[in-house]
Amino acid sequence: MKTALITGITGQDGSYLTELLLNKGYEVHGIRRRAASFNMARISHLVGHKRLKLHYGDLTDSTNLTRLIAEIKPDEIYNLGAQSHVAVSFDEPEYTADCDGLGTMRLLEAVRLLGLTRKTRIYQASTSELYGKVREIPQSETTPFHPRSPYGVAKMYAFWITVNYRESYDMFACNGILFNHESPLRGDEFVTRKITRAMGRIALGDQKCLYMGNMNSLRDWGHARDYVRAMWLILQQKKADDFVIATGKQYSVRKFIEVAAAEVGITIAWKGKGTAETGVVKAVKALPGVEHQVKPGDVIVRVDPKFYRPAEVETLLGNPAKSKRVLGWKPEVTFEGLVKEMAASDLKLAQSEHMLRKSGYSGVKSC
Amino acid sequence: MKKALITGYRGQDGAYLSKFLLEKGYEVYGADRAGDSGQWRLRELGIEGRVKETALDLLEASNISNALEQIQPDEIYNFAAQSFVLVSFAQPVLTAEINAVGVARLLEAVRRTCPKTRFFQASTAELFGSTGSAQKNETTDFHPRSPYAVSKLYAHWLTVNYRQAQGMYACNGILFNHESPLRGEEFITRKITIAVARIKKGLQETVAVGNLDALRDWGYAKEYVEAMWLMLQQPSADDYILATGEVHPVRDFITKAFAAAGIRLEWQGKGLDEKGVDAATGKVRVEISKEFYRPADVKELVGDASKAKRVLGWEPKIKFNDLAALMMDAELKRLENKKVDL
Repeated sequence: MKTALITGITGQDGSYLTELLLNKGYEVHGIRRRAASFNMARISHLVGHKRLKLHYGDLTDSTNLTRLIAEIKPDEIYNLGAQSHVAVSFDEPEYTADCDGLGTMRLLEAVRLLGLTRKTRIYQASTSELYGKVREIPQSETTPFHPRSPYGVAKMYAFWITVNYRESYDMFACNGILFNHESPLRGDEFVTRKITRAMGRIALGDQKCLYMGNMNSLRDWGHARDYVRAMWLILQQKKADDFVIATGKQYSVRKFIEVAAAEVGITIAWKGKGTAETGVVKAVKALPGVEHQVKPGDVIVRVDPKFYRPAEVETLLGNPAKSKRVLGWKPEVTFEGLVKEMAASDLKLAQSEHMLRKSGYSGVKSC
Repeated sequence: MKKALITGYRGQDGAYLSKFLLEKGYEVYGADRAGDSGQWRLRELGIEGRVKETALDLLEASNISNALEQIQPDEIYNFAAQSFVLVSFAQPVLTAEINAVGVARLLEAVRRTCPKTRFFQASTAELFGSTGSAQKNETTDFHPRSPYAVSKLYAHWLTVNYRQAQGMYACNGILFNHESPLRGEEFITRKITIAVARIKKGLQETVAVGNLDALRDWGYAKEYVEAMWLMLQQPSADDYILATGEVHPVRDFITKAFAAAGIRLEWQGKGLDEKGVDAATGKVRVEISKEFYRPADVKELVGDASKAKRVLGWEPKIKFNDLAALMMDAELKRLENKKVDL
């Protein structure tokens, strides 16, 4: 039986990867941070599984990581833990560097110092944000980086230190350069989830308007469930290497909003330009079990410049040819399929919130 | 009067820049580690006591802010670093804490306390690592090969990010190897000149070194600090390569250094068995030791400084041929307790 250690197990990818590895018969160890707020929602359905073990830990704590790796002696480590929000990194550059950059090195160094370089394979969650102000379109494994945020710079540190430990110590250490990957488990603060959460509530009249940043941003969006399969494949190869994981297709944030709105029965028309741009309800289609509280003419999307990034990443489009050729990987969920799954899931969530609120439970979270 | 703050001011570049700025009439503030390591450099340059010692450590965010609030410098030159590549393999976390996160602390403190301050970051040719043998310019892609280089890559891009995202005047000088009689004793050029001087005086028999085939572009530190200052005097901030454009193997530097001391060296053998032998006496003077090899080495580094020439009007005058002789001369004078010309 193989043993895996996952940092960031309580996040979106951690949840899907844990499911995948448990299904493959792995013993899965996860590191979670102790926090005052409950952060186990994404893996609560897995807790109690006899092959899943959770440990308290933190990527900023070398001693803790070294002890856990010494005790677990994992065959595979998936480093998914990070301060993963780009906008927050402009406010917390030092912590982002410590956690995302140095945290990765602490893991690599622990494996090396414990003499596990022949046994333990390491997956590093790299990101398309490394490309930032893109130097070519689409982006592949050979495209030069130009990060545009403290998050991107910290993740670049992690990328290259992973390469360096592979080249210096012959460790099986790999980067998956993952383009945006979403799901109903995506954190509320990420743009896709913010959109689908809002559309559910707007349909039911529990939110008036969705405030957005740059809607022209073009992204390559896939489903997290497809992407964690690629992570696993990367560690099953003969040779350690880096891979771009992407769909090879690109859509604007605006298009994402349109498809999400359509899923809750709303057709959107766009008016105006720049910060004055608005999304207006053009038509409402009846859906079973949904009492729509919006009507044609309602403004449900506006721009708030506070959501602009200090340095914007305009376009990201991945070239997944290498991962298709070498790993035999290709995504199964399309863009439309992804947005619909998320919007449908968040409509249900909005319906249960709505029901509770109508029944007088005022403690329901709202934004 | 302009005020400049130099971190790592008792290092080679810090000392030369301190002198350069003092001569330009700057009020110079310097931060360095506690103790008096490197004080000899200021002494030899004749500027001991003229730099205002500042309590600032890159590991500690709060004292950085305090220092910046008090000084309100016009220019900051960030030279402080764990700057030795080989040590970074043994101390990767400390290297990153100082070289990478330290720069995050510093830039963030500048943004909050004195965003108009002009900022120079000491970037390095080591960023290019294994990107082949062509001359590197400002658009060449990076491929760092050591924890040192990865930490400096972080600092480089964070500097770019504060320029592009926050509108700060922040520059990277991508410096190729720059040496001088003030170079730290653990660096290969200085290690060699010290050893040759001692061999010449009969105080030492041999010196052990690492990879003789490493190809480097060597310039004179005293000239490089002038270019750093020029970078902060432009209408807009940018990144510049500083290099000589010439490339030579470590072996040739060693040969030159011995020659400058009047010893003709011959090379015999290959790989780890290669030896540098005094042609006149047959005595072995240079040996190879594996301990000085890096786990991942950088084969060749040569830079194209044409942008610095075009925009800054800067061009190096001292190149490889003069450098070894200049350093040897200073080393021999030191051994004879004579005044060193710096």
